[in-house]
Amino acid sequence: MSAVVSPAIAAGARPPAQAGAPPLVVAHVAKSFDADGRVVPVIGDLSLTLNEGEIVAIVGPSGCGKTTLLNTLCGLIAPDSGRVSWFGREMSGQPAGVGYMLQKDLLLPWRTALRNVMLGLEIRGVSLSEAEERAHVMLDQLGLHGFADHYPTTLSGGMRQRVALARTLVNEPDVLLLDEPFAALDFQTKLLIESDTAKLVRESRRSVLLITHDIEEAVSIADRVIVLSKRPTRVKAIYDIALGTERTDMIAARESAGFVDYVRRIWADLDVTRN
Amino acid sequence: MNGSPLPPRAVADAGIDSAAENAAARRLAAHRRARLCASLLVLASQIALLAAFIAFWEYMTAFDKQAAFMFGSPSAIAGFLLTMASDGSLWRDTYVTGVETLLGFLVGNVIGTLIGLSLWYSRFVSRVIEPFVIALGSIPIIALAPIIIIWFGTGLTSKIAMSTLSVVIVALVTSYKGAVGVDADQINLMRTLGASKFQIFRKLVVPASLTDIFAGFKLTVGFALIGAIVGEFMSSSEGLGHAIFKAGSLYIIPKVFAALVATIALALVLTFIVGKVEKLLMPWRRLG
Repeated sequence: MSAVVSPAIAAGARPPAQAGAPPLVVAHVAKSFDADGRVVPVIGDLSLTLNEGEIVAIVGPSGCGKTTLLNTLCGLIAPDSGRVSWFGREMSGQPAGVGYMLQKDLLLPWRTALRNVMLGLEIRGVSLSEAEERAHVMLDQLGLHGFADHYPTTLSGGMRQRVALARTLVNEPDVLLLDEPFAALDFQTKLLIESDTAKLVRESRRSVLLITHDIEEAVSIADRVIVLSKRPTRVKAIYDIALGTERTDMIAARESAGFVDYVRRIWADLDVTRN
Repeated sequence: MNGSPLPPRAVADAGIDSAAENAAARRLAAHRRARLCASLLVLASQIALLAAFIAFWEYMTAFDKQAAFMFGSPSAIAGFLLTMASDGSLWRDTYVTGVETLLGFLVGNVIGTLIGLSLWYSRFVSRVIEPFVIALGSIPIIALAPIIIIWFGTGLTSKIAMSTLSVVIVALVTSYKGAVGVDADQINLMRTLGASKFQIFRKLVVPASLTDIFAGFKLTVGFALIGAIVGEFMSSSEGLGHAIFKAGSLYIIPKVFAALVATIALALVLTFIVGKVEKLLMPWRRLG
């Protein structure tokens, strides 16, 4: 088989980003795993688009392959077929300009809150004084003023997750991939962090892909909710959430008219049955 | 509060706050007192146990010359300690063994930890050398002593070599275990932040392994001391091992015990120093 190599790639240059291309396009991605000689299809045929400045939430039944999807998007696993393109260019390996946040805060216990936030900047070679200043600004924006010199073990779960959020946002990613980042928090803390996240993200016009099992969280924060089917995963339904595009108050969003209706319809789509 | 000239409402307002604060402060103080009492009780029991043991030993050997010869007596041991302290041999022997132990401890741990951590870099290399490490680790160091004396002579170097060999494999294994035990999610996080392999190593793997490395340090203080003493047993002119060996050969059993007491004291001091350094290097461990 003769390999066709485009001149740009052969020259070692990255393919240029297309102007105006959506941050993330997933087209007909499929992925199966080999389990004891049997082929188990995890992702059936999945297509979705994340537009600039948009918050998209993905919900699905347990075990529907959300983690596989995320790993495929991050370039940690290659799909069997289909394409993943970031900003109009097909990706190989780790996409640039993407920030991640997981349910585990993954803070380094030997670093103070400030130094945890500085981690990404340090890695990229930003000068220490600049990194320190930007990290301080980020912590202040997330309501952690005065906690910069605290070690993670002395912070509450909500504060730790705020530090993790600051660590992600301080790198100014174009796209945020959030994998159930608020799932381990208590209800009140969760609403407050969701609101702060929505505010910071919408102010800076960043795009967000939020993977969650929490339908209410999805409806309250997202512009669009994509419902996945059971395995092999495909898109079952897409909801445009018309609760106002500049929502930053998650408590108000949950009280707005129409909220309960969306939640009920998505719940029905998930088709959760007791065995 | 009774008979206060303030109106009842103000009394209640002022009272609730300060009363609650007082109660909390009192509870905290009581809690501290209880904890202090508990640790004092433990300490008192330990001292009582030791005193009872020494008294029993003294009593059993006081009227029985045979037993006094075989087991020594605490008063005779104390007497030897005083003599050895006044003629200076106690300090010189402790100093010599201390230097041997400390140098063996440092050299062994630096080499072992460097190799153990750098094995994190290559799964392939670590798999290749694993059986050799296990084989080397299972050699009783004492069996190497005659060769070590031939190679390094009868002076300080051979004792340091013995001590180093007792330490190095343990340090290698504990630091490697720490390095490969780093959370895979944490490594992925470093990757998504754009870290190179060296940055992951320096900013994540090394500090994350410190807990295991220090556990190895605490373990190897004793091993380093054993190595030094065994080296002195084989051939030496000074050191606590030399004192023990010589006194034992001459059947001066209280003197053996006197040197042993000094050895124990040396081990305790070295362990204490390692603990202090650990607290200094890992301030986050004191919290939470």
